Amino acid sequence: MDKLLDLWLASGIYNLQPGQLIMLVVGLILLYLAINKKFEPLLLVPIGFGGILANIPEAGLAFSAVENALHFAQPEILANLSSALGISSTDPQSITEAYHTSNASTHQAAVLAAQDGGYSNGMLYNFYNVSIASGAAPLIIFMGVGAMTDFGPLLANPKTLFLGAAAQFGIFATVLGAVGLTTIGVMDFSIQDAAAIGIIGGADGPTAIYVASLLSPHLLGAIAVAAYSYMALVPLIQPPIMRALTTEAERKITMVQLRQVSKIEKILFPIVLLLLVAMLLPDAAPLLGMFCFGNLLRECGVVDRLSDTAQNALINIVTIFLGLSVGSKLSADKFLDLTTLGILVLGIIAFCIGTAMGVLMAKLLNKLEGGNSINPLIGSAGVSAVPMAARVSNKLGLEANSQNFLLMHAMGPNVAGVIGSAVAAGVMIKFVG
Amino acid sequence: MEESLISQGLSLMVFGMGFVFVFLTLLVGVTMLMSKLVVKFAPVAVAPLKKVRRNAAPVAAATDDELVAVITAAVHQYRS
Repeated sequence: MDKLLDLWLASGIYNLQPGQLIMLVVGLILLYLAINKKFEPLLLVPIGFGGILANIPEAGLAFSAVENALHFAQPEILANLSSALGISSTDPQSITEAYHTSNASTHQAAVLAAQDGGYSNGMLYNFYNVSIASGAAPLIIFMGVGAMTDFGPLLANPKTLFLGAAAQFGIFATVLGAVGLTTIGVMDFSIQDAAAIGIIGGADGPTAIYVASLLSPHLLGAIAVAAYSYMALVPLIQPPIMRALTTEAERKITMVQLRQVSKIEKILFPIVLLLLVAMLLPDAAPLLGMFCFGNLLRECGVVDRLSDTAQNALINIVTIFLGLSVGSKLSADKFLDLTTLGILVLGIIAFCIGTAMGVLMAKLLNKLEGGNSINPLIGSAGVSAVPMAARVSNKLGLEANSQNFLLMHAMGPNVAGVIGSAVAAGVMIKFVG
Repeated sequence: MEESLISQGLSLMVFGMGFVFVFLTLLVGVTMLMSKLVVKFAPVAVAPLKKVRRNAAPVAAATDDELVAVITAAVHQYRS
């Protein structure tokens, strides 16, 4: 009978907390959206599943050794921990606080004390440390994105870079929004949090995760989920804004065929970009450096094996670990609060402002060019979200004029948006990091 | 504290957006310059390549035809 009771006391049902139940449902919803609605399935399947794993009661997969030790709260281990952290209280609450504010050496001492007590890091916690906390996974993914990117359309029409710049306004407007909400007392964001939330408007998953991991790791789960969900929603979010800001006549503008871009230009471009980053904004060097490296692998033509690995096998492997690690941040105590809701709302506003500014900038460029050479619909592609945003531009162009193929023209601002959001990320890291 | 947060946000917006524009404007300039230089010097490099290809293709086709003819003849001889 005692054995049966032990089994019951150790079961998931007995230990399930309401928060965990909600997060399990959230994980299932993410899986449903990914599998049934095809919302960015490559990321939302691992994220959703990671979210479910992170909320299994008592398993503590998303927690560090110390957090696991605190959860089970055996008195002698609590005493060891508090002495390791140099505090007198053995209350789990105050130990947690001391643990999170401790410096590196006492932090390590606490970890060792917990490990001596027989507790170890959860699986997902380890994944998170290796892939995200180290910064490795988003950067490797960025290299793969570079290896998949064709700068041809951008090189044929470099002015589309301005569209990629304008669309980044969404990022900074949202920072202001987050700061404003804090000032009027609705939310409580630091300037770092605000910067990390704003970057959702860059519509670039790896960039958002990289910035969030540096500036405000505690919001990473919500930011990553928001960034990837909104990228999946691009075909729903963008068209109404694009229609509202353009006239029928503007949408009908057909653009001239792009010129042929030579191989040498394509090889030189990543090098030129890298040099410019090196000279002007070294803080963007990790992101844009990996991006340029991946692109050079693709274009130089002598390392096809490396290019192939970067854009297929490697990016797939890293995506699995990145997804699971982001999922680990969906544990109930870190995800379920008003802040997450605020992030979701601010994120979508960032996205809308970015889209609108891209379209307005394209209208301005069109005016400057004489009014009949740039279709403003390609402006919305400046928010990155490659290649979804470019496809949306193409679709709306075809709706207005069935002979109007904007896809290649929209790819220019689209990849410009990737560069733009990486530069914006560098600026954020420089100013508030 | 509150006011400084807003001003921090404002300065981040002004400087950030300004920098993004300056950077991408420079990139536009540098890219155009690079393209111009390449177009100026590249045709010399690209043209012979095309010629080689054009010449190479018929030669290859001719040898293929010859090869097919030779093999067909050989097969015929062997069978007869």
